[in-house]
Amino acid sequence: MRTQPINEQERERAFSSVKKPEVTERQQLDVRYHVEDHEVTGRPRAFLEAFAAILRHTNYRMALEHFVRVSAKCARCAVQCPVYQATNDVKDIPCYRSELLLSVYRRHFTMSGSLIGRLTGTGHLTDETVQQMAESFWNCTACRRCTIECPVGIDHALITHLGRFILSEIGIAPRALVVSTREQLEGKTGNTSAVPVPALSDTLEFLEEDMEEEKGVPIKFPLDVEGAEYLFTPAVSDFLMEAETLMGIAAVFAATGGSWTISTNYFDAINYGLFYNDRILERVIRKLYSETERLKTRAILIGECGHASRTAKYYVPVHCGGDQAKPVYNIMEYTYRMYKEGKLKLQPGTITEKVTYHDPCNIARQGWIVDQPRELIRAFCSDVVEMQPLGQDNICCGGGGGTVSIDEIRPYRTTVGGKAKADQIRATGAKYLIAPCANCKKQLRELVEDQEIDCEVVGLHDLIYKAIMFEGQPAEMQTAQEKG
Amino acid sequence: MDAVIEFAQGPLFRVTFGIMILGLIRLVVLDLINAVEAYRRAGDKSLAWTAAITKTVSWLFPLKRAFTQRPVYSVISIVFHIGLILVPIFLLAHIQLWEAGLGISWWSLPHFWADLLTITTIVTGAALFFGRIGQRSAQALSRTQDYLWPILLIIPFVTGYICANTVVGPATYQLSMLVHLLSAELIFVLIPFTKIAHCVLMPLSQFIITLAWKFPARVDDKICTTLKKKGAPV
Ligand code: SF4
Ligand code: SF4
Repeated sequence: MRTQPINEQERERAFSSVKKPEVTERQQLDVRYHVEDHEVTGRPRAFLEAFAAILRHTNYRMALEHFVRVSAKCARCAVQCPVYQATNDVKDIPCYRSELLLSVYRRHFTMSGSLIGRLTGTGHLTDETVQQMAESFWNCTACRRCTIECPVGIDHALITHLGRFILSEIGIAPRALVVSTREQLEGKTGNTSAVPVPALSDTLEFLEEDMEEEKGVPIKFPLDVEGAEYLFTPAVSDFLMEAETLMGIAAVFAATGGSWTISTNYFDAINYGLFYNDRILERVIRKLYSETERLKTRAILIGECGHASRTAKYYVPVHCGGDQAKPVYNIMEYTYRMYKEGKLKLQPGTITEKVTYHDPCNIARQGWIVDQPRELIRAFCSDVVEMQPLGQDNICCGGGGGTVSIDEIRPYRTTVGGKAKADQIRATGAKYLIAPCANCKKQLRELVEDQEIDCEVVGLHDLIYKAIMFEGQPAEMQTAQEKG
Repeated sequence: MDAVIEFAQGPLFRVTFGIMILGLIRLVVLDLINAVEAYRRAGDKSLAWTAAITKTVSWLFPLKRAFTQRPVYSVISIVFHIGLILVPIFLLAHIQLWEAGLGISWWSLPHFWADLLTITTIVTGAALFFGRIGQRSAQALSRTQDYLWPILLIIPFVTGYICANTVVGPATYQLSMLVHLLSAELIFVLIPFTKIAHCVLMPLSQFIITLAWKFPARVDDKICTTLKKKGAPV
């Protein structure tokens, strides 16, 4: 599907900046997201030093060497990028964006490049290019859609990922992400939303009462149970904003007799490191893993959150012992398995309104979780429509790559990043948009609001909560459900 | 003239062809060395081989891919590549030269198909060139080499076709033959050092990117040490 480019009015809205001119002036950085003050003089040099250090200790050189040799500049990726489709600005073509970093690599880190550069005295990295990268790498939602359409196999999301990593080493990273992560790793509360433990236990207790009242059976959030099978960690924001998702998950565990626990010592699966810095990614992973070791759980279970699931699944093995590391699952895998084993019963026809399912990029792109939620949904929803394209080819919500957490760029996200998604949602005419990801949910709610689409964004377990059936549940409560 | 042609056909051919082969081997070997080193450092050694193989095959034979996005461009590009690969290798006249020189030979394209593929390559090559000029997104990405390649690549096809098919005077024939040889040899030399290197590197891409997302374990400390950031707040 193709999306029409935005009009002038929308463009103005999307690219308006709330930053104070004096800050932009002081930081010499005309980007729309807030950045903490950093050393401004000598940025190109610092950038190259950080680049060199990263190349020395990581595997990026292999990929860059390969990319600079094969890049065919065929422009095929342009049709795949929802951002470029919306802005129609050639600077947003994936290959154009990647070339910013590839040319720095070619000029400063390959023999032929530096030779030619030195002979002709050209191509040296300038502060202007650093600024261009700071702008460009955060316009991309890291959805990796372009990668699936590049015939020669260039992975732009990897390049964006690396570009942001280097930039963050010289102090250029969205303040929203840095501040939250600082709280998570070094702050008193130890989580990105700064939720104190008493608030957490109060919330959960309150939800437990609610659930018992609604379902007629006791449903618990087990806290700090040593030796439980699963250590459950959602995106911490769920405790504040997605009570219904959590209730659905607790209900699934209650109905299936699963052994799980939430740690009051560390209960946040968010890992913004994926979006701006590999070192941070590593620290957060290690913090999560030490919690599972402390509580001696068999596995880690991540809530409805795409990036948290992807980081834990792929980087727990990397940093915590390869194939010896404890397994990581996404909650939908658990729920699906229980459903297939017949331990989870869902009332068919619970939801009669039209529903559609949004694939979060971070769990769908590699084909990890695509069909499981759909099968669950069909078990209790009678009117399911699909958006096209879907699954591995899905279109990003427009808030990927951490951009959803940057509130000051909301107009950009809902006008540019989410344009293609909005068109898709509108075309389905769905009443419920199921998005099993904390990031996607926030973005999609803002998107349907700003784009004036009449549709309610929910998590998968929010609806499962309505459809779930318990053994020994009072009969009148089951019939109440049947009526939806 | 004859002497020049002979030189182009003999020593020059051997040298340029050798440069191409050695150059391409070098690229593959470098890629493999990098990959082995990356694998050694990777903290997690499980690789999604099947997915990488499936994706590689789907791009080597992009039948399904072709029609989902930019179908016209895709078909043109595919037809172009088919001729580009098949004709030089399976043209009877070329095989006869190999047989005369090294005594080896293989299956050859029937005359009709050789002609047809030559023409389609020329036409689609020209189309790719004009497509690049005419399309805004391609323009924005293109370097000089990107415009020159389609043109350079069809020169040996045009001249080869003239030599093989048209009744031309000996002078024209000789000139065409010389251009044919020299342009092909220029291509040989350039291949390993330009984007056409994708002819051997592209099948490795999916493996490289799969591996690239497997980071080395515990780099935080090392990078902090190198950048003198140890103990610095987040
Ligand atoms: S599809 Fe690949 S080779 Fe083509 S322009 Fe995009 S990144 Fe470059
Ligand atoms: S990752 Fe997504 S947003 Fe970024 S360039 Fe690729 S398609 Fe566009």
